[in-house]
Amino acid sequence: MSGCESAVEYVYQYIDDELTYTRRERIKWHLRRCGHCMSAFEFEELLKAKIAEAGKSEPPAELFDTLRALIEQERKTGDSGC
Amino acid sequence: MADQADFESDAMQFAPQLYSAALRMTRNPADAEDVVQETFLKAYRAYDSFEAGTNLKAWLYRILTNAYINKYRKARRRPSEVELGELQDLYLFKRLGEQSGARESAEKEALDMFVDEDIIEAIESLPENFRLAVLYADVDGFSYKEIAAILDVPIGTVMSRLHRGRKLLQKKLWNLAVEHGLVEPSP
Repeated sequence: MSGCESAVEYVYQYIDDELTYTRRERIKWHLRRCGHCMSAFEFEELLKAKIAEAGKSEPPAELFDTLRALIEQERKTGDSGC
Repeated sequence: MADQADFESDAMQFAPQLYSAALRMTRNPADAEDVVQETFLKAYRAYDSFEAGTNLKAWLYRILTNAYINKYRKARRRPSEVELGELQDLYLFKRLGEQSGARESAEKEALDMFVDEDIIEAIESLPENFRLAVLYADVDGFSYKEIAAILDVPIGTVMSRLHRGRKLLQKKLWNLAVEHGLVEPSP
């Protein structure tokens, strides 16, 4: 029981790969023995992947041209100024 | 020190990601483009001060974040970390589990009911500090240390915002599922 609690406490650091080796191994050890925690961890991992997928948007087609023109203009202003 | 002449070829590859992040911040395509343009202009002007070979993506995100905050944060006062109260761990997993009884891996299957629009709505509903932490970790794949540098806050603050942001996002998803009649409201 306390194994579950201490595993869940680190669920985000686990899926974000932000744990020390020892802590990570300890949690893996627990997950191999606890199907419920394993499901919960997999669930959080899957949700993270869904957020990553949904959060990405295609930029408008002309974005690159706009940015290039902006830099070009700034370069000219910079050269001619003072 | 980085050479300003290399800026375009070094930085342009990050434009789509920066635009995507700006869109989630501003929730509006025209504003997102404004913020990205401002970011590129500021980054170009400051490129001499960027140390070549260090983390260019994180450096650009830091400029993006500041550009966004300076422009859009003024009006809205957001609740601080402590004002939101405690949220349950594994919020959505537990709720979905209650729906499906003891069926194996039913919670993971239940995630399929959420379409991209639901997830975006949930992200955009988050208070700003939490939204930025979730975006940078989940969508942009930054480490806690990188997020701390981008937001100029301690790592502990990043973790607390990220954890709370994710829980709030799960709560929002659950509420959306209830609103859409996809699940039975909790008693």
